[in-house]
Parts: sequence; C-alpha cells; structure tokens
Amino acid sequence: MKEIEVVEKIKDNLKQKVLEITNPAPRRIFLKVDKKDLVEAIDFLKKNFNFYHVSTISGVDLGENFEILYHMANENCVLTVRTLTPRNDPKVPTITGVIPGATLYEREIQDMFGIKVEGHPNPVRLLLADDWPEGEYPLRKDWKFTRPEEKIPGGK
Amino acid sequence: MEAQEFKVPIGPQHPALKEPISLRMTLEGEIIKDADIRLGYNHRGIEKLAESRTYIQNIYLTERICGICSHSHTTCFVQGVERLMEIEPAKRGIYIRTLVCELERIHSHLLWLGVAGHEAGFDTFFMYTWRDRELVMDILEIISGNRVHYAMNTFGGVRRDLDELQIKKCLDYLEILKKRTEYYANIGTNEPTFVARLVGVGKLPKEKAMELCAVGPTLRASGIPRDVRKDDPHAAYGEIPFEVCTADTCDVLGRVIVRVKELFESYKMCEYILKNLPPGDIKVKVPRKVKPGEVVSKYEAPRGENIHYIKSNGTDKPERLKVRAPTLGNYAATIYMLKNGFIADIPLIFAAIDPCICCAERVISLVDAKTKKEQIMTMAELRKFSIEFYKKNPPKKEVIWPF
Repeated sequence: MKEIEVVEKIKDNLKQKVLEITNPAPRRIFLKVDKKDLVEAIDFLKKNFNFYHVSTISGVDLGENFEILYHMANENCVLTVRTLTPRNDPKVPTITGVIPGATLYEREIQDMFGIKVEGHPNPVRLLLADDWPEGEYPLRKDWKFTRPEEKIPGGK
Repeated sequence: MEAQEFKVPIGPQHPALKEPISLRMTLEGEIIKDADIRLGYNHRGIEKLAESRTYIQNIYLTERICGICSHSHTTCFVQGVERLMEIEPAKRGIYIRTLVCELERIHSHLLWLGVAGHEAGFDTFFMYTWRDRELVMDILEIISGNRVHYAMNTFGGVRRDLDELQIKKCLDYLEILKKRTEYYANIGTNEPTFVARLVGVGKLPKEKAMELCAVGPTLRASGIPRDVRKDDPHAAYGEIPFEVCTADTCDVLGRVIVRVKELFESYKMCEYILKNLPPGDIKVKVPRKVKPGEVVSKYEAPRGENIHYIKSNGTDKPERLKVRAPTLGNYAATIYMLKNGFIADIPLIFAAIDPCICCAERVISLVDAKTKKEQIMTMAELRKFSIEFYKKNPPKKEVIWPF
C-alpha cells in the first residue's frame, strides 16, 4: 500500500482525532494526535496497516511542552506518531498493551525526560543509576552537567 | 530434593557496547524462570553531547558509538542530514559507502560466527573464522587506512577514492574469503555435534518476534523477511541485486544460517559494487548550516535495524539526535528467549543476538535465595560449565544441517 493511500485512510477513519498528517519524504509519514487518543491511534495503525513494529520512542524538549515520537514501521514505510505533553505535568499512557516490544523504550523516556508513563507494567529505572538524584532528567534542555568537586581521600 | 530458587545477576560492566547490560535471572534448578534487565552502566551521554557539537563533529562522534558497526552509525546519521540539507550525494561516493557497509557486515558476521563456535565449544571454528576475518580487515585497511573506525563518510559522499590497484586487490581477497566461507558451511554439515548443540536453543516463535519488535538476523531467523535494505532502500541498495535471507527454525541454528547466507550475499554485493563502480566525483559540496526540519533515518546494520531521529533548528548544531542501536531492539526478545531455557544456554543465546557481550570476561554471581550465599562465576567459568553440562547431557543426534 502506497503512503498516500495510508494517509487518506488514516484521515477517513480517525477523522478529527488527526491533528496533523504529513508525508514529507518517500516512505515517511508524520501523524500528530492528542495524548488521550494515542493508544487508540496506535491500535488502529497496528490492526489496519500492520504497523506492529515500534523502532524506538524519541522525546524532544520543546520548552513549554515535551514532544514524544513513536517511530513505527511496516514493510513499506515509517510512520511517526507524535503527541505533546505539558512540561509541568508530563504524562503519557503506555502503549505496551498494544505493542509489548515498546517496554524498554518507555522506560528510557521515563528516565531521560521524567515523563511518567501511566500503566507501565514495570516502571523501574532502566538507564540511570540507582543513586541518581530524583528530579534530574539529563535530556531536558535546562539540565546542564556540572562536574562534582573532586575530593581526594586523605588529601589536603 | 525440592528445586531451590536462585537469583542470578549477570553483568553489568562491558566496555565495548553502547548498552552494557545487567540481567537478573530467577532460576528454578537449571531452568530460567524470569529475567529482568538494567542498562546504563556505560552510558556516555552521546545524545546530549551531540546537541552541543556541529554536524561535522557529530559524524565522528556517532562513529564512536560502537566499534564493530562504526560505519553503520555514521551512514545512518550522514544520510539523515543529507536529506535535511536537501542535497543529492555523489553517486560514486554512495557506491563506495555501500561497499564499506557490506565489508563491515562481512567482518561482523565472521566475528559472530567465531563467537558462536566458541560458545558452543567448537574452538577450531572460532580460530578459522577469526583468521579469515583478518582478510576483510585488510580490505578495509586498503580502502580506508583504518581497521576499526574507517572515517569514510562525510556529507555528500565519502572521503577517500578507490583506484584500479585497490579494486583488484579487494577482488582477490574476496575470492579467497568466498572459498573459505564455503568450506565452513561444509564443516557445519559434517559436524553433527555442532548443529545438535544449536538446534532448539533460544526459541523465538514468529508471532513473538513480531510482538517484541526484534530486529535484524534475530527477526529473520524467525521467518520474517524484513530487511531495511529492501524495505527502505538507502545508499545504493536500490540498485544492487541481493536477496533477503531468512530461516524458519526460530532458534540459534536459524540465526547461524541467516548470517552464513548473508555472508554469501555480501560477497556478491561487494563484487558487484567493485565491478560497477560509477565514474565521477566522490563527494559534493554541502552547506554548513542545516534548515529547520526533522528526519527519520534507517539503516540495516550487521545486527539489525539502526534508527536515527534528527531534528535541526537552522544552526550548525542539531536540536536533537536520537540513536537507537539494534542491540537494544533485541533485548526484549532476548528476555523471552532466556525464559524456560537452561542456565547453560545463557552464553549461546546471548551470543546469538550478537551483542558482543561474550567477548569480555564478565562476572556472574549466583545467589542462593534461601541462604543468601553468593558464588562468583566469570563468563569463562560459565562457558566451561555449559560445555561440561552438555557433555553429561548429550544433545539429540541425527539433526541435519539445512543447507
């Protein structure tokens, strides 16, 4: 199925839930949906177009909001579903109910951006160390690395 | 006697990977009942660092994500940025880039075959394949001057050209490699113990492979013909004839078959490229700044689908670079494969996704759940244990090599 057909079918079926859909390059589709329609949209894509494969989940810090991108793939194209979540209350629903393979990527997003994934089966830390301070999320734009002062044991 | 429950933490330190891994496994006797995963022991913050480097600097940064698939990450990054810059790279450059891609696949697969042989207790195989891997390393050195970080890619093409003498030398070496690989395929047929050790280990059924988003040879060994080179042709893959290799045994044997078949495909592709190298420039001039935009770039690395998401903001530095290396994509599937398997199969199943975890000495501590006593085992000891285990419990005979 060609990308244009996929775009048309998504528009017809999801109707006003589609906030924006573009096809900027061959085999690339970008779809924007609201956070509350995310799971439904992904379920629809999986069932109708065989988008069973989640390549990864990217997060982008836009200042006021965080943008979360779900890069999904089938035989013909890569479809990126994007959604926004406000910075002061960052939350997204889990998609592991639809695609179990997304579990590690959701844990990664949770660590790096502090976006809470609601309903995740095992929401423990994946990448950050156990003694990493709470409330510090390295991939947020306002997070800067400062090297802690070196203390030599027994030194002056 | 009642079977005791053990917790086995595996890992965590490994220097060669972007994702060193710690696995905590719950055992019941010899059987793995559950596995949990923790990463980040060697997290270098490359994604954060990339935001403060220029695009040119980022080529060399992405090259250092991985030692074995160094060319994969740069190619993925470079072709994404080229799309953002809206430039058409030089055709000869693209062909040379693809040639290095395939040579890298050959060296990675030969390395992997050796590791698989080593883990199965077939060290002759390991010695042979690693000796011949030197040949492909020599080819890469002839082309790029380097054995590991080739530094071939740049925006708009590649940095080094090939002359007639180099092409002739590469073709000669490839001829030797091809013969030797055929010989190994034959060794496999005549070595029933090797095949019997691999068959039925680390089962990953087709539906599960799809559900858990496995990638690369792991996915193809479960009978799913997905290959980024065919599905989303990048570089020169749209013009080079090749076939997607699959196997339907869904186990470690299938993963060996897929990789051996891919080796032969790669030899053919390399020869095709060397004989049909288009004339002309190897690169085109590119702007320093990149227009605002975003791109999803995919690439079939030796271990599977590699994906970069690049967002630009109009300056000479990217706004965001997201990298997903193929090994991370296979971890969810690995956990599934380990479940209900033997502890003696851990090294082999791990080796089968090619995470290069087995090439270093790793410490495993066995914790007795009742007495909380710990027993430290290195990967070498675990390997010895696994070989001993299968000596005592001989694997089933009369399995045929499916070539």
